[in-house]
Amino acid sequence: MNESDGDAVTRRLPELTTRAPEDFALRVLRRAGISEDHYDTYVRLDTAAGGLFVAASARAVTGAGLDSAGLTATGFEELHRARTGRSAIPGGRPLSGVVPALRTGRAHRLPIDLTGLPEQQRAVLEAVRGIPAGQLRPLSWIAREAGTEAPPSASEVLRALAANPVAVLIPCHRVTHDNGSPCDAAYLPKSGAALRRAEQIDMRRVAELSRAGTVFLGSDTTNIYCHPTCAHARRITPAHRVHFRTAQDAREAGYRACKSCRPITV
Amino acid sequence: MDDKAEQLTDLLAAHLEAGFTELVRVHAGAVHAFLYRVSGSSAEADDLGQDTFLRAYTALREYTPARRRELRPRAWLMTIAANVWRNHVRTRTRRPATAGLPVEETMDVWPDLNPGPEERAATAEDRSRLVTALSALPEHHRIPVVLHHVIGMSYTEVAEVQGCAVGTAKAQVSRGLAGLRRLLAPEPPALKEVTT
Repeated sequence: MNESDGDAVTRRLPELTTRAPEDFALRVLRRAGISEDHYDTYVRLDTAAGGLFVAASARAVTGAGLDSAGLTATGFEELHRARTGRSAIPGGRPLSGVVPALRTGRAHRLPIDLTGLPEQQRAVLEAVRGIPAGQLRPLSWIAREAGTEAPPSASEVLRALAANPVAVLIPCHRVTHDNGSPCDAAYLPKSGAALRRAEQIDMRRVAELSRAGTVFLGSDTTNIYCHPTCAHARRITPAHRVHFRTAQDAREAGYRACKSCRPITV
Repeated sequence: MDDKAEQLTDLLAAHLEAGFTELVRVHAGAVHAFLYRVSGSSAEADDLGQDTFLRAYTALREYTPARRRELRPRAWLMTIAANVWRNHVRTRTRRPATAGLPVEETMDVWPDLNPGPEERAATAEDRSRLVTALSALPEHHRIPVVLHHVIGMSYTEVAEVQGCAVGTAKAQVSRGLAGLRRLLAPEPPALKEVTT
C-alpha cells in the first residue's frame, strides 16, 4: 500500500490531533516537583485591544504580548523563550495585581521584571511606566524622565518603545511624538487607538490642539502650564486657558511648569 | 525544528530542571494527543501523560549530561508514553478493552473556526467513525498509525518508538491503515478478509 495515496483516511487522521487541556503542562511540572523558579506561567486576559498574553514569575510580570497582531500562544511562548531564556507555561492564575492594573490602567506599581534589557531601554520603559492612565506624554518628556547620564535621542526612545516586551502594562500607547500624534511604536495603530479610547483620552481634541500648534496649556489664574492631557490642564475653564507652542513661550509669559505632569522647562 | 531540538537537548544537558521544563512546554501537547488517540479517553490521556513525564524526569535525573545531549526528545518521550500505555493495557484486567465511542469524545473541544452546524455535524460523525475504527485496531497497529498520521512523526521516529526496523514500522503503519479502511468501508467484504 502506498502511504502517499492521500485517500480519505490518511487525510482525516491528522485532524484527530487534539490540544491538551490548558493546564496539562503545568500539572506535569507540579507533579514532577519542578520549582516555580524554573519557569514562568502565562494567561490570556482581555483588554480593549484584544487578548493579552501575560507571563509572570512568582514575583513579577516578565512579558506581555497582544494577540491582535496575529500572535498565537505558541508564538508568544517562543518569543518569551528567546527573549528571557525562560519557558512560559500556560495556566495558573494571573499574578496578583495584573487584573486590576488592566482594568484601571494603573500599572505603575505592578512589579515588572525588565532585567536582561540594555540599561537605556530599561530607563526609557520605566519612564513610560510613569505616565498616568488617561494622559499622554511626548518623546522629549520620556527622554528627560529616563534620567540617564546622556538623555536618549528620539530615535533611541522609539527603538526602546518598539521593543517593549510588556505590551499594555508598560503603556507605550500613552507616548506621542512632540507634535502630539501618537507613536504606537509597539502596537498596530488600531490597538493603540483602542487602548487610548478605553482610557477616555479625547484624541480628537488632542489632534485639534496639535493642528493649532499648541503643545502646552496654561491657566492665567495660576500662571502654571501643563501637558494638555494633564488632569490639571483639563480643569482650566475655556476663559482662562492660554495656549503655548513651546516651553520657552510659557516661561517668557511668566508661567511655571506644573509639578504633576512635569512638562519640560527651558 | 532541528535547530530547536538541538537547543532543547543542549539545555537538558546543561540544566536539568530548566531543560525538563522546556521539554514539557514543547512536547506536552503531542504526548497528550498521542495518549488520547490510543486510549480514546481524555481523562486517561491526562493520567498516563502525567505518568509519562514523571518517568521521563526520573530517567533524566539518572542520565549523564552527555546522554541527555544525545536524546531525540520526541521519539524518546513517545517511547515512554507507548510503554506506559502498554503497561496500562496489561494491568487493566478489570475493564474490557476500549470499544465503541468513549463518552469523552462527545465532549471534544471544537476549534472556533469550524464551519456551520450542518457541516459540523457531518464532520463530527465522520470523525467519530474514524475514532471508533481507530480504537478497534489492535495495539501494535494503532500505536504506529497514531504516531505517523496523527502526531506526524517520521518513519524513523516511529521505528525508534516501536523498537524495530524502519521497514517494519512502514509495514505496521500501512497494515494499520488497511485495517482502518476495512473498518470504515460501507460493507466489509468478509470473504476477502479470510483470504488475506
